[in-house]
Amino acid sequence: MATRMIMATAITTTMTTEDFARLLAWTSPAYPVGAYTYSHGIEAAVEDGAVCDAATLAAYIRTVLHDGAGHIDGALCAAAIAAVDDAALDAIAELAFAWRGTAETALESTAQGNAFALVTMAAWPDAGFAAFCARHPKRLAHASAFGAACRFAAIPPRDAVFAYLTAFAANLTSAGVRLVPLGQTDGQRVTAGLLPAITAATEAALAADLDDLGTASPMIDLFSMRHETQYTRLFRS
Amino acid sequence: MTLALREGRTTLRNLHQVSPLRALFPTPERDEALTLALVNTGGGLAGGDHLRIMIEAEVGARATISAPAAEKIYRSLGPPSRIDCALQLGAGAVMEWIPQETILFDGARLQRRISADLAAGARLLAAETLVFGRAARGEAFTRGALRDSWRIRRDGVLVWADGVAVDPPRALGNRFGFAGAESLATLLFCGDEAPAMQALLREAGAQVTLPTRGLVVARWLGAARDVRRGLGSAIGLVRAAVFGLPARLPRLWTA
Repeated sequence: MATRMIMATAITTTMTTEDFARLLAWTSPAYPVGAYTYSHGIEAAVEDGAVCDAATLAAYIRTVLHDGAGHIDGALCAAAIAAVDDAALDAIAELAFAWRGTAETALESTAQGNAFALVTMAAWPDAGFAAFCARHPKRLAHASAFGAACRFAAIPPRDAVFAYLTAFAANLTSAGVRLVPLGQTDGQRVTAGLLPAITAATEAALAADLDDLGTASPMIDLFSMRHETQYTRLFRS
Repeated sequence: MTLALREGRTTLRNLHQVSPLRALFPTPERDEALTLALVNTGGGLAGGDHLRIMIEAEVGARATISAPAAEKIYRSLGPPSRIDCALQLGAGAVMEWIPQETILFDGARLQRRISADLAAGARLLAAETLVFGRAARGEAFTRGALRDSWRIRRDGVLVWADGVAVDPPRALGNRFGFAGAESLATLLFCGDEAPAMQALLREAGAQVTLPTRGLVVARWLGAARDVRRGLGSAIGLVRAAVFGLPARLPRLWTA
């Protein structure tokens, strides 16, 4: 995209320690967005038997990163940071809010997005970010809210997207550890093993064109749909 | 193309068509709405071909748009085959967009964009089926690319965005991707009856979700024949329950 090429020269590419502090806070499991309540369909995949050990959990999360919501969220986050002006940023926020594979993945994205906006406005006040949130009341996806916050803090897009996807993957790993169940050390092996996938997904997100964005993970959508009627559920997605 | 309501009946207001795409108006069966058959007289799309379809159903118009045959996307030597489809529904209009399968030959490159704009009270039933390779010949889709994007607006507000990107087709074999399926079908109903349609389709055993208020999505993934059967019966259920049309596919699909 021509606009992004132009912006890329204007955006800082070196992260400061202050940027690093923001990213650590905003992607921490302690950041109060309720991430731990979402499994992104893993709960249904475990019930089905398709996810049953560390290897199948890692394969599921790799698919989310390469071919599923991770790719979409990464691209939207990158585009939000690179948005040339408020109008472009608003269009990305609207697209992100409308990008809804299923009812539960939409809840996962928007509930976290709206919570992220509230806590970030309160704890890391920024006039530009507050105005952005005011233009999209309760209509924010997690990726675009996070991307907008990074944009107003001038955090480099590659670091921001990498942090976002790392947190997304770690959260799904944590859900898998509880659901399969796996030991904590096995969970950390899954997290470490996902590093190349997160790096590749970050690069793919930075290169993506929003008009041609797409997923290749209908099985994950089907698990998410099945989760809506699953009898025993610990997770909201 | 514009379809308008005149004296209680939907009629063609204007039509502009360029070969190879032809619009035919077979005499509708009794109880059916105005039926429009889109025919690609070229037989399929090669790399570099570009189809543009714009159909507007004005205030209160009712139309069923389908095709008498599957759309074939041939192997491309480089450039993509492109299909741009824009549907516009005026207030209270009812449209069914239910073409038959799109078959991706091995090596096909398809870039398709479907958009629909619905005014207040309009209702849309849209269904699309992708088949990866000529299943009947045992052909798979191992090379090529697919970019398929959907954008749905109600009252000017984007309410649903979705896309499929299979490029290259490695995800087709991934057990969390397409799990080796020959075919993927998507049914979408947009209108105030969406929650009731979710319940109806779920009752019938379909995998279905309500991603946003006023929009229900169901998907089928599997063998081409099973996907066609599942989607076909779901189309019948929705058109009967919401539009008062016969609970079966238009004859175009079955003749």
